[in-house]
Amino acid sequence: MSTLLESEQNMEITEEEPIPPISQRVRCGVVEGLLTVFKMIKFVLPLYILVDVCKAYGVIDSLGTWCAPFMSLFGLPGATAFAFIAGGLVNLYAAIAVLAPLDLTPWQVTQCGVMMGIAHNLVLEGGVLSSTGARGGILTFFRLLLAAVAGWLMLGLQTLGVAG
Amino acid sequence: MTIFLDACLGALLLCGKLVLIVVPLVVAFEVLRYAKVFRKLGSRTEPVMRGLGLGRSAVLPLFTGIFLGIAYGAGIIIRSAAAGKMSRRELFLTGLFLATCHAVIEDVLIFAVLGGDAMVMLGLRLALAVLLTALLARLWKPGAGSTGREV
Repeated sequence: MSTLLESEQNMEITEEEPIPPISQRVRCGVVEGLLTVFKMIKFVLPLYILVDVCKAYGVIDSLGTWCAPFMSLFGLPGATAFAFIAGGLVNLYAAIAVLAPLDLTPWQVTQCGVMMGIAHNLVLEGGVLSSTGARGGILTFFRLLLAAVAGWLMLGLQTLGVAG
Repeated sequence: MTIFLDACLGALLLCGKLVLIVVPLVVAFEVLRYAKVFRKLGSRTEPVMRGLGLGRSAVLPLFTGIFLGIAYGAGIIIRSAAAGKMSRRELFLTGLFLATCHAVIEDVLIFAVLGGDAMVMLGLRLALAVLLTALLARLWKPGAGSTGREV
């Protein structure tokens, strides 16, 4: 394996690509940039419309009501469920708009910050991740799982008196 | 109907924003990627990247994502993937790291405004991303020809 690694590294060092002139690089950048955006828009455009329409029809409210009882699992008040749904479907700005009037302790805000930082804007970002060629669906599942694990971990830390 | 039209308008605005941010970013990427500093950055970060099961072609997508977020980082990821420089394994590992830990500055500031502890939020997300990616990199052995550490 070590010889294989060495030969690989040597290859990387000796394999100098020819450096094109700057004008050609800029032109290439513009063309490739536009192509990249088109690739992303195929995912982003329909998903954004879907999420926005759902929001307008009160999907966030009904999902929030349904999820509220589960928030006590993380030591959070039920009302934070609305923030989690808003953050998960829309973005963090939507989430803090819901969170701000709730009078949470600093530790609870930190907890929400970690959990929502990991899992937010899932529909749109899942689409973007798929457009890179990675498995967007599996990654989104990972994010939800990880947010829950992080939430439990932080509740545990608080219960043990290590933090909060 | 107005709901649908509003959504379409918002979506178009977002697409405009993507064009305004991603195109200059990709131009900068194309112009700078031959620069010495960038190659040096590649070799400097190599030990850390190796621990995550990633090669040096993943450095730029990873850092763009960590600071700018998935949507804008994706521009660079798609470019690197299209150039054939990243394997499926690297793409997934980069995606996994970024899914956990991206746009950290913006995210942390949003919650710091409400009184959250910025260092805890940043530290936990970074630690989880590194742990998870390194763990998966060890479970998912690289196939022949891709970069990665043998365990």
